[in-house]
This record gives sequence, C-alpha cells and structure tokens, in this order.
Amino acid sequence: MGLDLSTRLGRVRLANPVLVASGTFGHVKEFERYMDLGKLGGIVTKTITVKPRLGNPPPRIVETPSGMLNAIGLQNPGVERFISEKLPYLRKLGVPVFVSVMGYSTGELAAVTRALEKAGGFAGYELNLSCPNVAYGTKTAGTGARMFAHDAKLIGSAVSAVRRLTRRTLLAKLGPDVSDIARMARAAEGAGADGVSLINTFVAMVIDVRTRRPVLANHTGGLSGPCVRPIAVRMTWEAARAVKIPVVGIGGIASARDALEFLVAGASAVQVGTANFTNPAVSLETLDGIRAFMRRERIARLSDLIGSVKT
Amino acid sequence: MYRERCRVLANGRVAPGHYVLRLGSARIARAAGPGRFVQVLCADSSEPLLGRPFSFLTARPGSFDLLYHVVGQGTRILQGLQKGDALWVLGPLGNGFGTKLGPGAEAALVGGGVGIPPLVHLAETLLKTRAVRPGKIRVFLGARDSTLLLCLKDFRKLGVDLRLATDDGSRGTKGFVTRPLERYLAEAAPAGTRTTVYTCGPTPMLKAVGALAERYGVPCQTSVEVPMACGFGACLGCAIKVNDAAGSSTDFRYAIACCEGPVFDAAALVWD
Repeated sequence: MGLDLSTRLGRVRLANPVLVASGTFGHVKEFERYMDLGKLGGIVTKTITVKPRLGNPPPRIVETPSGMLNAIGLQNPGVERFISEKLPYLRKLGVPVFVSVMGYSTGELAAVTRALEKAGGFAGYELNLSCPNVAYGTKTAGTGARMFAHDAKLIGSAVSAVRRLTRRTLLAKLGPDVSDIARMARAAEGAGADGVSLINTFVAMVIDVRTRRPVLANHTGGLSGPCVRPIAVRMTWEAARAVKIPVVGIGGIASARDALEFLVAGASAVQVGTANFTNPAVSLETLDGIRAFMRRERIARLSDLIGSVKT
Repeated sequence: MYRERCRVLANGRVAPGHYVLRLGSARIARAAGPGRFVQVLCADSSEPLLGRPFSFLTARPGSFDLLYHVVGQGTRILQGLQKGDALWVLGPLGNGFGTKLGPGAEAALVGGGVGIPPLVHLAETLLKTRAVRPGKIRVFLGARDSTLLLCLKDFRKLGVDLRLATDDGSRGTKGFVTRPLERYLAEAAPAGTRTTVYTCGPTPMLKAVGALAERYGVPCQTSVEVPMACGFGACLGCAIKVNDAAGSSTDFRYAIACCEGPVFDAAALVWD
C-alpha cells in the first residue's frame, strides 16, 4: 500500500510529519553519523538572535522524574555567523529548515528576520516567543508577561513584525504557562502566522534541600520530556480546535505511539525534542513507527489521521 | 561514535560502593581512548531519563570496563545488573587526553575519586605507545581513606611510580594529593622537567592541581566533570567557562564540555 505521509505548513510541503525541535538538535551536524538527516520531515534550528549570546552559567541541566530542566540561555553565534557558518551545511541536506528566531523586542525580531531574508535558502521561521530562560526586554514590561507567549497582544505584535518582512512559512512557538492556549493560538493566527508550534517547556525549578539553593544557576529552567506529554497533547487538542492554521505538536515525544497521539489530537506535524538527547536516531525511528501503524491500520493518507480523535 | 546495545559481561565490586561493569562492544572498545567516555542508559524506560557519562577504566578487543560509584537512581540500577543483561550505550564521546609527547617525556597523573579510572586507561596507553617509560609515569592518588584509593592493583600491574595521600592518613601522606604532587614538581622543575600533568577528579582538586602546574611551568591536561544531558553536543547543557582567545566582547565563553572536552588545557579553564 502506497502511503502518503506528506503534510503542509504554510507554503511548504513536508514529505512527512516528523521534525526535530529547536534546541535539541545541536548544530544538526552532530547527528549525521547516527541517521540519514535527509529523511526527516523538517529541522527547526537552535534559536538565533541578532547578536551572539554566551548562554547561562552552569549548571544548566538537571534531571527530574521522566524529564529534565534546562536553562541554556539561548547560547548562539548570532545571526551573521549563523548565516555564514551554519546555514550552508543546512541548505545541503535537502530537508525543509525552519530557522528559530528570537528577539527582545519587535525591533530585534525584525532585524534578525531581515538578515535571514537577505541570505535566503531555507523554508521558514519558527518564532520563539516562549524561551523561559532569558530576561525579556522592554516589550513585555508593564504587561505582567514574562515572555511574548504570555500575552495575546504581544504574540500578535511579534508575529506581525516578522510577517510583514517575509512570505516564507511562519510558525509561532507558544509556551504552556498560560491559562488559555486557544486564545494565544488565535492571536498568532490573527497576526498572520502560518502555524503554531506547541508546547515549549514549562518554567520549573529544582531545589537542593541541603544547600537550600536552586540547582540551576539560572534558578529556574524549562521542563521537558515524557512527563509533560499528556499536558502537551491536551493543549494541542485545544489549539487545533481553535484555529484553522496547522498546529505542530511538541512535548515529550519519544516514540511513534507518542507522535500519533498528537496527530490524532489535531497536529499536522510533530517535533521530537528531549528524546534526541538519549537516542540520536529517535526521530527517524518515530517516523518508521508511524508508517508501520498506518500500514497496520490501513490508513493511506496522513491527513486521514490528523484530528481524528473521537470526542 | 556508535549507538549500541551492549551485553553485560561482568559486574563486580572493587571498593566500598564502587563497581566495575564490563560491557561487550568491539567497535566501542576499538575507538575507546583514555579520557573519552560513553553515555550509558541505565534503563529502557524514562526513569531515569538521561544517560550517565562514564570514562573508560580500560578497553581490550571486544569489551571495555567502566568503574562507577553507586550514588543515585541510575548507578543503583547498574549495581543490580547481571551477566547477560543489556544496555544502550553511546560512544566513545569527547576528545580524551592527548598522549603524543616529545622524547624524554615524563607524566604525572593526579586523580581522586571516580576521576581515577580514566588515569588507568591513560597510563596503559602511555606505556603501550611508548610515549613514556614506566618509571617516568608518576601516579598521585588521593582519597578520604585507604579503602577509597581506587585502582591500586591496576596501577601496580603497570609498574608505575605510585604516590598516595589520604585525608585521614590511613595510607600515604596525610592530607590532599596536591602535597606529594607539589613535592615532586618542586624537585623536578629546577632540572628542566619535561613533565606533563594529567588530572581528573573533584573540582577543588582540579583547581589546585592546575594552579600547581602553572606555578611550576608545566603543561596540565584537566578532565572536567559537569552535569550533562546528551554527551554529543545536542543540548549545550554541559557548559564550562574558558578563556576566549578570539576576544569578543567578553574575555570568556562557555565551551561545551562533551565535545570540546572533557579534557581541557588547565590554562584555558576559568574557575569561578
């Protein structure tokens, strides 16, 4: 049986729905010895900012029950060096590449977008509106928001700032620490996003009770891994019902079964994140498992699976 | 670098709370180098989630040994493993110690705690490659008490010059391992020594050893231990502060210990 696993995000057609999540795939090259990168549905890069960022002091990582906290702090070489040093390799892979971008103001977001538009040669953007590990600037001041993703108006202004500069696919990555994810997804849609990616990590904390100190130097970090998956599935389901644009499901996916949950809940594609750290080939194993499931269940097209949850 | 399901060939106690796990893998054993490491998934479930990094104690055709200290959830699982069980292993990872030394080279290996095992592998390699003659490898080991001086038998078999220190004086010099090291460097340095210091162990020891090496003007290769999630450069979690020769806006940057290290030139490390 010929299977059609293709899926669409904005103007980009993906050969299959399995992408790798931002910040979990190094500079991509680290994975080439473990897998055929050309078979991925897409790649979302480590988040890029206008200027280089050193990242946070260590410790940056702590393990939690079926999960982990990270506070990397967006360590990245800055957009100019990304374009000259990293992008040429990514272009050669023959896979849709979504550049994750972030800024502390709409002005910075526009600057990083302009630089990337000038360079070209990639599929689209994922707007990181929800990194929990960096201090946000003036744009969020006075709104009570800790990040763009916490405020529907800020989501709208950030998406608009990038939308007016590009016709490439634009995904808005939303954070889970909100009371109404559907409202945040609608704000992104209303501002012209081609899709929403969710969820980013939860703001979380681990304390060493003996020293009374937070384990992470940043005090808090982003919680990810299998422990967040049921919440991520619920949010994917809520967002997918609220918007017409595609939802990209993320959160603790480590197998085909996990990925299928998100697709059935309404995601048009999924991203594998933390699981890449313990099995570098897990994304393609997930894809193979989705294929096997579709054969077994006699489902010819991925689109027949997307949003098929019976409620 | 390989990802492989490895069989447990042996798993036995070598000191209080310390065990040696022998795992089968021809490819990983062949590529093993002193100071390089593997990431071991202690369970097939998500509990615990992350791999545990271990450097090689030694490697031989077909298998390699890891020495671990039972300290938490992951190592407790390892302790219960029996011959025939299997684990996912990723590696070898990291750069490892540099073992190409000039003629007439001498080596001072300084270890404490679970930093000692990779120095066994290092001493073996220095001897096998004839980089240093047996009598010119001096091994300085430190521990809380004599029962925790790991790998003594392994070093004895190699015929290296052993110098011990314990906090309680139950074996060797009483006090830190830096005392016998400093005595040695003070004697050797005026004679225009060609000594390279190699060190692995607790961070306070690494700092002190690096400072001594600097004072006596000898190169020092330091293997650091930092919390790590992936071990191969995917997460950027294992940051360690190093001098930034490239000189950007700051005078330091965060190196990623799993791929740029875990062995660094002591002079490049910036301790806070």
